[in-house]
Amino acid sequence: MDYLEFAKDVVSKAVERGVEAEAFINVGQNTSVNVDRGEVEKLSQAGSKGLGVRVVRDGKMGYAYTSDFGAGSIEKTIESAVNLADVADGDEYRSLPAPQPLPEEDLEVYDQAIVDLPIGRKVEMARRIEKAALRYDERVVLTNRCTLISQYGTVAVANSKGVAGSYDKSFIGGFVMAMAADESDRSVAFGFDFGSRLGDFKPSAVGKDAARKAVGMLGGKPVPTQRASVVYSPMAATSVLGALSRALGADAMQRNRSFLEGKIGETVAADMVTVLDNGRLPGGIATRPFDDEGVPTAATRLIDEGVLQTALHDHYTATRDGTASSTGNASRRSHSSMPTLDASNFYFQPGQETPEEVLGGVEQGLYVESVMNTASINPISGDYSISAKGYWIENGELSHPVNEVTIALPMQELLHNVKAVGNDLTFVPMMGALGSPTIRVDGVMIGGV
Amino acid sequence: MLPNESIRRVLDAGLTNGADLAEVYLENKESLSLTLDEGRLEKATQGNDIGGGVRVFYGNNAAYAYTDDLTEESLIEAAGVAAAAGQNANNAQVCADLTKGESPVESRIERPFEEMSTQEKAGILREMDEVTRQHSPHIVSVQCGYTETRRRVWVYNTEGVWAEDDRAFIEFQGQVAAQKGDVRQSSATGIGGQIGLEFFDDRDPVKMMPEAADTALLMLDARPAPAGEMAVVINNGWGGVLFHEACGHCMEADFITKGASAYTGLVGEKVGPDFLTAYDDGTIPGRRGTMRFDDEGAPTNRTVLIENGILKEYMWDLTEARRAGRASTGNGRRQSFRDMPMPRMTNTYIDAGPHDPEEIIGSVKKGLYAKRLGGGQVEIGRGDYVFTVTEGWLIEDGKLTAPVRGATLVGNGPETLRLIDMIGTDMSLDPGRGMCGKGQWARVSVGQPTVRVPKLTVGGTE
Repeated sequence: MDYLEFAKDVVSKAVERGVEAEAFINVGQNTSVNVDRGEVEKLSQAGSKGLGVRVVRDGKMGYAYTSDFGAGSIEKTIESAVNLADVADGDEYRSLPAPQPLPEEDLEVYDQAIVDLPIGRKVEMARRIEKAALRYDERVVLTNRCTLISQYGTVAVANSKGVAGSYDKSFIGGFVMAMAADESDRSVAFGFDFGSRLGDFKPSAVGKDAARKAVGMLGGKPVPTQRASVVYSPMAATSVLGALSRALGADAMQRNRSFLEGKIGETVAADMVTVLDNGRLPGGIATRPFDDEGVPTAATRLIDEGVLQTALHDHYTATRDGTASSTGNASRRSHSSMPTLDASNFYFQPGQETPEEVLGGVEQGLYVESVMNTASINPISGDYSISAKGYWIENGELSHPVNEVTIALPMQELLHNVKAVGNDLTFVPMMGALGSPTIRVDGVMIGGV
Repeated sequence: MLPNESIRRVLDAGLTNGADLAEVYLENKESLSLTLDEGRLEKATQGNDIGGGVRVFYGNNAAYAYTDDLTEESLIEAAGVAAAAGQNANNAQVCADLTKGESPVESRIERPFEEMSTQEKAGILREMDEVTRQHSPHIVSVQCGYTETRRRVWVYNTEGVWAEDDRAFIEFQGQVAAQKGDVRQSSATGIGGQIGLEFFDDRDPVKMMPEAADTALLMLDARPAPAGEMAVVINNGWGGVLFHEACGHCMEADFITKGASAYTGLVGEKVGPDFLTAYDDGTIPGRRGTMRFDDEGAPTNRTVLIENGILKEYMWDLTEARRAGRASTGNGRRQSFRDMPMPRMTNTYIDAGPHDPEEIIGSVKKGLYAKRLGGGQVEIGRGDYVFTVTEGWLIEDGKLTAPVRGATLVGNGPETLRLIDMIGTDMSLDPGRGMCGKGQWARVSVGQPTVRVPKLTVGGTE
């Protein structure tokens, strides 16, 4: 089936009802393999498909979706969307985007090798994840939820202004929980790795990563409550980026829901802080030629050497702004949700220092390896208080493990207090993809005993 | 949905390669959601999600395949994909006669959603918005949302299970931001239940909005929370989310049978104070976690998790129950037909205790009162948890003296449970907004009376 033709067909049917219309189609194949002690404990395989129809009339918007591509279902979906638009309130800035030229380049987000990967190889990869974790150290006593996921599919978008495009995308990834135990303590940790291309994915790294973290945290204890320097691992630093990406959304800024509102052109961070969003990063997990309303993706410099440059935009926020243009950041979780503004590959630009050099500059402080409850960080107020695990730093080196502590500092201060940025940029698949090198932040409040 | 003869043929197809159990799960989910922002009804979405899955068991292992095309042919194809994991072409199993299951829980929908127009539903959101804006000139942003979901499920298996459930949910959400000078604070609220339009007979979503606005306004002038160890009193109702996250997850059988939970092997052991009793109850009428049957066709139960401080029982799904050679407790749940079931909580709560709630606060010399909790996270194996306090108060000499903002609670679930030294008489369930994430989303309820923990780490900035 030619999904782009199908999308165009849906649009032309909807237009007959006197609306602007957009069709979004997402079709894919998913496999997930779960291994326990070498045995395939759970195996799930299937294809799925979905259509979302968005209509706009007089600035009023309606949305409906279905997974049934039969003619009757399509008619019903269009009718629902049109009826809902009648209920909605008008907004002069609400419209669908016009087509823009799509740059011809290979973004390396589709790998035939993932499509062709036989189920036996997938099972073998899941086993390798588990083996790597169990072999790492004798104190690794068990693994849980050892999972391999592979996906591929097609996205197609068409609208009545002439937008029409489709692309293929693939993904492979794995994760595992490792538990370590000794006479007096036990600890658990997650490891993961992933890629758009088969070659980017290293199953044994997943297991090793989980095992290393779990073993390292054995005997972890809280430290006394104090203000100190904190060095974030790339994984832990994404706690800062997630909330920052939401505060940098033009929707949050236009609606009084960002601690960065009204600060464009101002210094909001230390001068070594540069923040980028790049929807065209080759091979990136959030890379795609155009966003989920058909606008070409772009590389956007949001904070440049500490100075706030611009916000993330979709078609609506750019129209409302008047002078901005969409940065290609309209996203959807699936065909069942209308597009909302979200980051793509969103990251701190790496610096020159190695992670060891960043650590070496800290006499006393906390190295944070993992964090929890990052969803609680508030992009409206900038309040930032989460839990952390890691190691105490003595004279530039890691000493004993630390757990059950909190780290807190308002985001406004945290960004200014960045004192070092490493060269080890690493991405994590969250909210698109968040990436950071090792970073050091001074004056963080550590809550312990 | 499909005639039983079709289901029989799909089940038979699942058994072809020597499976010892085959199961068919069918689902039809319809939903409508409305979002009002900046005083405008901005987003209106409606849709239908239909599909089915076939699961086959080979001993402790299972294979699953699903389809969004609900025809006998597509389901038989899915059954073939799932059955391909098997090795043994000698099919010994036969499908038992399908018998329609009985449940202690009755179907609950009195007035279906269609009896009220979308325009009327939008009207409630407009009222919620207006009331909030008029509440204070410092309110700078108001968002309100309404969601209705009707999820019908059918489960059949080769042991003769035939279960049907029809679940309807109403949810209202609100988010308010307030600003003074450069300081912004926000507050979120919600109310809902598993219920039809009779929801409106005794509940009014408009009323929750000024309360949420008050929290945001209060936090504008609140001082930063202290950091360090102190006594913490947690409010009743939604405060039970802490027990759900930090202890409940550690009592789900998948982590238990692996030996990966802090509670593995502790049935019959003392895990909390004598006056602590806790339940997981999937049968309470109208609650978000209530089901006639779980997503594997097992009737739901009221499971005593902890009785007088002694750990009594875990929460089991079919997979883990088969592994342990016992019966499911009706805790097998899945987000949709695209997901395999796993053990999940339903409505989980700590029962009323012996202490007067006012005396509990009065007993604290210096500490924190967590009046409203936000979300939290737990590391299931060890039970380490973290929670955000969205409205906190300092307790000094037994009195609430000043609101504090930005507080976080951090600790270890099983350890915190042992430390609890006072439990109030004021047990209540949450207002109906609980959503639990464990790789898959599930609607849940939580609850507890006022609870005191004499020593807990609070993360603040002072």
